[in-house]
Amino acid sequence: MDTVARVNPDDLEKEALAAAAEARSLAALSEVRIRHLGRNSALKLALRGVRDRETGMTLNAVRETVEAALAAREEELARAELEERLATERVDVTLPAELLGPPRLRARGSLHPSTLVRRDVEDIFLGLGYEIVDGREVETTRYNFDALGFPDWHPARSPRASLFLNDKTVLRTETSPAQIHKMEERRPPIYMVSIGRVYRRDTIDATHFPIFHQFEGLAIDTDITLADLKGTLRHVMRQLYGDEREVRFRTHYFPFTEPSMEPDVSCFNCGGAGCHICKHSGWIEMGGSGMVDPYLYEFVGWGPEEYTGFAFGMGIERTAQLRYGIAGLRPFWENDLRFLRQFR
Amino acid sequence: MRVPLSWLREYVRVDADAQEIADALSISTAEVHGVQRVGVDGELRLFRVGHVLEAAKHPDADRLQLTSVDVGEDRPYSIVCGAWNFGAGAKVAVALPGATLPNGLTLERRKLRGQVSEGMILAEDELDLGVDHSGIIVLDDGLEAGTPLADVLPLVDEVLDLDPTGNRPDLFAVYGVAREVAALLGGELLPLPGKEPQRDGDEPVGIGIEDPEGCLRFIGRAFREASIGESPPWLKARLRHSGVRAISNVVDVTNYVMLALGSPLHAYDLDLLRGGLVARRAREGEKVRTLDGVERTLSAEDLVIADGERAVGLAGIMGGEETEVSSSTTNVLLEAANFEPIGILRSSERHALRTEGSNRWEKGVDPHVAGPAATYATQLIVELTGARWTGAEDVQGELPQPTVVTLRPERTNALIGLAVAEEEQAEILARIGFERLKKGFRVPTWRARDVTREVDLIEEVARFKLPEIPFTLPRREAMFGRLTREQRLRRRVEDALVGAGYSEVYTPTFVAEGDLRLPEPLSAEAAALRVVLYDSLLEPARRNADAGADDVALFEVARVYRDAGGDLPEERWHVAGIADGGFAEAKWAVEQVYSALGVEPGYERASQPFLHPGKAARTGEGWLGELHPALLDGVWGVFELDLDALARTAPQVVGFAPVSPYPYVRQDLAFVVDEETTAADLLAAIREAAGELLRELEVFDEYRGEQIGEGKRSLAFRLAFGSLEGTLTDEDVAPIRASIVDALASRFDAVLRG
Repeated sequence: MDTVARVNPDDLEKEALAAAAEARSLAALSEVRIRHLGRNSALKLALRGVRDRETGMTLNAVRETVEAALAAREEELARAELEERLATERVDVTLPAELLGPPRLRARGSLHPSTLVRRDVEDIFLGLGYEIVDGREVETTRYNFDALGFPDWHPARSPRASLFLNDKTVLRTETSPAQIHKMEERRPPIYMVSIGRVYRRDTIDATHFPIFHQFEGLAIDTDITLADLKGTLRHVMRQLYGDEREVRFRTHYFPFTEPSMEPDVSCFNCGGAGCHICKHSGWIEMGGSGMVDPYLYEFVGWGPEEYTGFAFGMGIERTAQLRYGIAGLRPFWENDLRFLRQFR
Repeated sequence: MRVPLSWLREYVRVDADAQEIADALSISTAEVHGVQRVGVDGELRLFRVGHVLEAAKHPDADRLQLTSVDVGEDRPYSIVCGAWNFGAGAKVAVALPGATLPNGLTLERRKLRGQVSEGMILAEDELDLGVDHSGIIVLDDGLEAGTPLADVLPLVDEVLDLDPTGNRPDLFAVYGVAREVAALLGGELLPLPGKEPQRDGDEPVGIGIEDPEGCLRFIGRAFREASIGESPPWLKARLRHSGVRAISNVVDVTNYVMLALGSPLHAYDLDLLRGGLVARRAREGEKVRTLDGVERTLSAEDLVIADGERAVGLAGIMGGEETEVSSSTTNVLLEAANFEPIGILRSSERHALRTEGSNRWEKGVDPHVAGPAATYATQLIVELTGARWTGAEDVQGELPQPTVVTLRPERTNALIGLAVAEEEQAEILARIGFERLKKGFRVPTWRARDVTREVDLIEEVARFKLPEIPFTLPRREAMFGRLTREQRLRRRVEDALVGAGYSEVYTPTFVAEGDLRLPEPLSAEAAALRVVLYDSLLEPARRNADAGADDVALFEVARVYRDAGGDLPEERWHVAGIADGGFAEAKWAVEQVYSALGVEPGYERASQPFLHPGKAARTGEGWLGELHPALLDGVWGVFELDLDALARTAPQVVGFAPVSPYPYVRQDLAFVVDEETTAADLLAAIREAAGELLRELEVFDEYRGEQIGEGKRSLAFRLAFGSLEGTLTDEDVAPIRASIVDALASRFDAVLRG
């Protein structure tokens, strides 16, 4: 009882905190811990002698403060000691890697399946005499929506559907803005494919991810026809899925093409007889396409009938899924080496 | 949109089966995701109309009836039945032994509590015509026993699962689909259903439009003495196969007519309305409890239907609970209106409420269909509820009149790449309601929103000719088929890293912190655009190591985003990598990247908070180092380089020096220097001192040891000298060697090891 009375909790705390702050090494800090929180420390003795609730609470609060201070200081010192140790481990960074390690001899790495598809797509279009355009990912709404004929009320303009940085800036929801930039940059002939990341506000699950990759083509010249679109896409699909593939077109609707169509490819798995991959229809949906809406020509200041052109867009991940038989989108972003290394 | 084929065939006579219809629609109109067979899947002849001759309680079961039923055979059938909503004399639906019900059950002749039962008297759920199981189906008295049940009830149907695009509101109607089918397959389109019955009274309805922009047209019709009850089986079956729940005859009629013609309708209990109905903007904060039981607080942007005192429905989206038609309703007010699409879309989004109605309005319903819809609904209400039609009003502003669009047939051919004769183009358009006038084609009102320009008419022709359009390639006069320099170098970098053992990963653009923040983040960890790549690689490295991979080496090529003060951020391509094993790994990878680009980088000691302070370096285009051990367990080499900067540094053309035909003089030199003197310093000094005869130079050994002394190390260099003029001798090289030794001695106190 007497001891309790003589102890001033404030002093105990002050002394302990000061000691912790002064400790210059982990070893020194360990001594501080024994002296101030150990079995025979004034604090522990006082706690053991406590008879009333209020004193107990006060002393326990002191104990907690001191413990926290010690832990913080311990981390600080550990970090400092680590830094000190690291500072002694200097290497001559200008030496060649061979003399520094040597580096491990590693088996060949791998390109991501989406990159493999991307390169194939690029090569197919290079062969057709198209240029490949990366384009910006952060776009103005003018290029991402206005230019592409999205009306003001279109749901894609909502922050619920798209990722905005502010009222006028949005992460591109398709790679088409790059096409408008090209059209503003120069007059036809234009034969281009834009490829890259696009963004939608999607909740992540097995088949949704807010980021995916597209390739979109645009051909504008003096007499491009819908037949040219059919022929071009059939060539591309045969390059991607095999020479025996047939392609059919279904009428559809998109804001920036008129007429609009969706291309289907005869199923490469069953040859059109029907299987789980084509959902027993014999055909696999590939994306969107159509003839460039004259609105676009006017948007960039050309006459509505000076040129004609076609446009199309498809997904890189979807193409990879079909080519390699990958289910869902998760494998594309999990970055599991056991998956990735199979794509050598 | 689910389209029961039996219904479709009421509007179009066509010689084509379900699959042919589906295929034609898919190609030229809207995708059909599938044809679903609904109803009975067995032998239809075993389903008959039965005439109940006798019905009495089962002798040994209180809940069952024992009946004798004439099913058109030479003797009555004995059937045990659990329902009591009929008696002797009723006409009922019977399935005989051997029949397979839609749920897969095949009936057998069997004993039920000691009595033989030869088949089943059917309730609507057992035929997949509805959900009711409270009693069996009682058929019209006039039917003859033994009549095939399929003649009376829609026992089997095929349902097209059609997915119209947003520009085709006319296809959210069975009649609209029928119009397409007739045009595609050469069928005959029958007239619109519905015939105005005799009106029995002329009471005022009190319809008004206060917001003519939101509501173009408002037809109100009053009915008296309606008897509210269940709809007949055919109607319930149609709704069920269309995916709409049957509720009561009046409500079912509104839904049925909406499905048939595409113009949504609503019915009110007339006696619960206080005064007539008006379409107006809601008052800010006004409340209405919709049919789903949710009390909704309205804003001045919401269009409502209101009576004299209050809002009684969210216009076009959902009616109000207080005025709904119920079993106690006797007098009905029918609304057939036309609402402007964008307002409906906005309200529907604001209240997170999408309905069959809003889904149609938001696409733009033809205001001219409201009339036929009112007519057809009136006919059905009178027929099905026995009500008297007692009042009618049709309030409308100026409805849009059909426009005329010109079409140059040669323009069609030029755009689609197929020659279609002028007459054929006109004929195709005529089949889908485009009337040919002198100046062009008159656009039918149900296509007015979509077809406004010549190119829109061309699309109409094109979609009918799609399969015939040939496969050609553009005739080219200019070619651009090559990658840009940046793209080629990017591929080279990727390939170099793959060769060095690195596997490519894709990681998200979004991180917790960055220059550019999303005002509405995807999550706390995905709130900004990244400014560096390496940070995104730590997690995949850790996960792969945790999964047991003992040789983790990952890289990514992607963009980073910085606020450069302009309207749009600066986007730069970076490459970053991580590999287990420390500084040498990072150095090796970076060496591979630079050598792939033909660039000789300079390395300088650097410090970054995320790198080991003694093992970090910078090049002109990025940095490399050993990851600070506090960030990730294990020892990791990391690097990140700015690919755009690298592309600028990389030589445009390969430079080469002629190769000497004379043998080189090779010499190894080792110097003892202070620890702080770097190999790069020495290499530069040697090169400078050696002059142009030095052909090759590399550092090939580093050594520390007792003979050398504390704080010192030895670096060994391999040199090769050569001349294009002739063979060099050791004597030729001796002075060069001497000047190298002198230069290093004077600049670095370097001592040549003997």
